[in-house]
Amino acid sequence: MAYSNKVLDHYNHPRNVGSMDKSDPNVGTGMVGAPECGDVMKLQVKVNPETGVIEDAKFKTFGCGSAIASSSLATEWLRGRTVDEALAIKNTDIVNELSLPPVKIHCSVLAEDAIKAAINDYKAKSGVTAKETATA
Amino acid sequence: MRFYEALGLEPGLMLDAQDLQRRFYERSRQWHPDRRARAGAAEQQKALEMTAVLNDAFRTLRDPVARAGYFLEEHKIVSSKHPPAELLEEVFEMNMALDELRRGDESARPQLIDARDRFVKLLAEIDHGLSALSIQYDKSLRGTPDESLLLAIRGVLDRRQYVSNLIRDVEKELNVHVSN
Repeated sequence: MAYSNKVLDHYNHPRNVGSMDKSDPNVGTGMVGAPECGDVMKLQVKVNPETGVIEDAKFKTFGCGSAIASSSLATEWLRGRTVDEALAIKNTDIVNELSLPPVKIHCSVLAEDAIKAAINDYKAKSGVTAKETATA
Repeated sequence: MRFYEALGLEPGLMLDAQDLQRRFYERSRQWHPDRRARAGAAEQQKALEMTAVLNDAFRTLRDPVARAGYFLEEHKIVSSKHPPAELLEEVFEMNMALDELRRGDESARPQLIDARDRFVKLLAEIDHGLSALSIQYDKSLRGTPDESLLLAIRGVLDRRQYVSNLIRDVEKELNVHVSN
């Protein structure tokens, strides 16, 4: 099955690859993985504690092209959003944007789980009681 | 459950290997298609089917892991969609090291060998846990079967599958990039 152009673009030119200091109180880290293989996705957000806006987002994903593209796209979308807006991102938004085929939908689910895990980690660290529980 | 019935066994997680083999040989002889060469078509068909079921049953039930997997499947207890969370950090580090090795950086090798050895050790612990839970579950069969133990066993099997896949992946890379 051929990858869509958008997947290929993110795969060949992934945005925001890298990592941030986990111990920084303004950084939230989400680590999620596939159930049967060693694919893992690490996604981090750096939040401005005054405004609640995500100022930076980084990821590193070991997995297929769709998993890399999903997390790359997620970091693009996260920058400039508030924490609550970030939690509103759904895996279906990623599926639509990247035209992922049905067999690759789990990659977008992984990205959504990673976003939620990162935000919830930030909330837990910054003392905000997380209303939402991570699905991861 | 078909596999247990075929071998005349009560469903359970602990089986005696010798008894299992004896039952398999006995029933295989009894249902051997050659012994029914003169029988009618229906009888011959039945012998073929029984032989196939006996083979599948023996192959599945003689292995404690495959047996537990079959048992849970029959109880409609499906695998979790999430990997063991406490291993993810380590798996991430392992992937980083694998990338380095693939790029020809031999300094990543000792770390990968360590990781593999830890996972192999973990696998042994998992197998130990599986047999302890299996014994416990079989005891509960004397009264009300303890379904919560089956869920625990599902977790153990999923973890086992995950860890053995990791070992396979890291060994593959260690062998591809054999150091001089």
